[in-house]
Amino acid sequence: MQNLDVISINIWDTLISLANLIILYLIVKKFLYKPVKNVLKARQNEIESQYNNAENAEKKANESREQWEKMLSGANSKSDEIIKNATDTAKMRSETIVNEAKERAQGIVRQAEQEAILERKKATDGIKKEIVEVSSALTSKLLEREINKDDHRTLIDEFIEEIGESYE
Amino acid sequence: MKNKSRRFVLTDILYIAMMIVPVIIGIVIKTMTRPVGDGVSITGAQVYFKIPMPIQDLIISESQINSLIVMISVFGLCLYLTHGLKTRNISKRQHLAEWIIEKTDNMVSSNMGEFFISFSPFIIAMLALSGFSSLLTLLGLYAPTSDLNIVGGWAILVFILITYYKFKCGPLQYMKSFAEPVALLAPMNIISEIATPVSMAFRHYGNVLSGSVISVLIAYALGNLSNLLLGFLPGVLGDIPFLRIGIPAVLSIYFDVFSGLLQAYIFAMLTMMYVSGGFPSDLYFKRKNRKIKN
Repeated sequence: MQNLDVISINIWDTLISLANLIILYLIVKKFLYKPVKNVLKARQNEIESQYNNAENAEKKANESREQWEKMLSGANSKSDEIIKNATDTAKMRSETIVNEAKERAQGIVRQAEQEAILERKKATDGIKKEIVEVSSALTSKLLEREINKDDHRTLIDEFIEEIGESYE
Repeated sequence: MKNKSRRFVLTDILYIAMMIVPVIIGIVIKTMTRPVGDGVSITGAQVYFKIPMPIQDLIISESQINSLIVMISVFGLCLYLTHGLKTRNISKRQHLAEWIIEKTDNMVSSNMGEFFISFSPFIIAMLALSGFSSLLTLLGLYAPTSDLNIVGGWAILVFILITYYKFKCGPLQYMKSFAEPVALLAPMNIISEIATPVSMAFRHYGNVLSGSVISVLIAYALGNLSNLLLGFLPGVLGDIPFLRIGIPAVLSIYFDVFSGLLQAYIFAMLTMMYVSGGFPSDLYFKRKNRKIKN
């Protein structure tokens, strides 16, 4: 077996080594670089699709939440309206009730007043009648007796007494 | 993860065998064909056989066989790393594969720009071939990178790439690039153009070769020193070169591992620098944009 010199130049060996590097480049490209790159790309795609999914889900959730909120606020305003209506009707009713009561009370008072006036009239009418009777009686008495000073006085006194009695 | 199918495990074993078996075969060939001899002999690769070819005989030497071994092992490694790729819940080897790809992509895009991102697998191949070739010395095999022909071939390929990218703007532009900054400097530019691959090849080859030469010298020197210092020990003990244990290993961490990997890195780095540096990117993109507009 012989050895090469430390420095030896051989064209064919050089070319073979050149070809070796190219072959190894192709091997590395085909069996290491491309598969790993593909996997990285696939992972990137997967991550992106997952992000998209997450975004979609978030959007959906937000939408449904908005819907719910709208519905909730709608319910709130509705209940407010109902309460308002109820209070309004209650107010109106209470007012009408109060008004009616007032009217009624006024009616009663008026009636009472009228009755009182009527009574009074009746009473005055009675008095008048009495007065007339008394005066007629007095005149009849006057006509029966002679009139003097004393008589006069007693007559007036009697008359007054009579009036008082009749009034009582 | 625990419940890997039988088929998966078997393929894994096949790939691992693809990585290891060539190396073992190489070691076996080396031990069977190594000439018995003492002393230091610094020679090139061992020649197995020659094939007659025009101009020069094709020599199938240790360096050819060993670079073939490295290629098959790297092929096995690629297959092993990309076996069972998944998009989630990834295995450790996939982490490693992705780390390699991302690191080289970053390196290429920061040194050469996004335009040259397709160089990434080429740089990986170059780093792997050069690095593992240098590391073969750890197993006692001849490092193909300490053969000038091997590294020369790579350097010529790099030179072809540099010239190809310089030609991207047409041959006229290529000619003009030699006359810069003044036409008087054209001979110097041509020399420096040719010097690029030569310097790359010699730098890598010289570093790895000198590392292994120093390793051999130190091992030899330590053997003699051990004989001198411990030779008085009786019997077999005196013949054992005790100083050779351990110390050469520590030194080979620098001369074989560090230096070899560093040279691989430098070679890849220079490739990127020269290819992207020679490419007239401004002019090229200007013309491309004009073409798109028209």
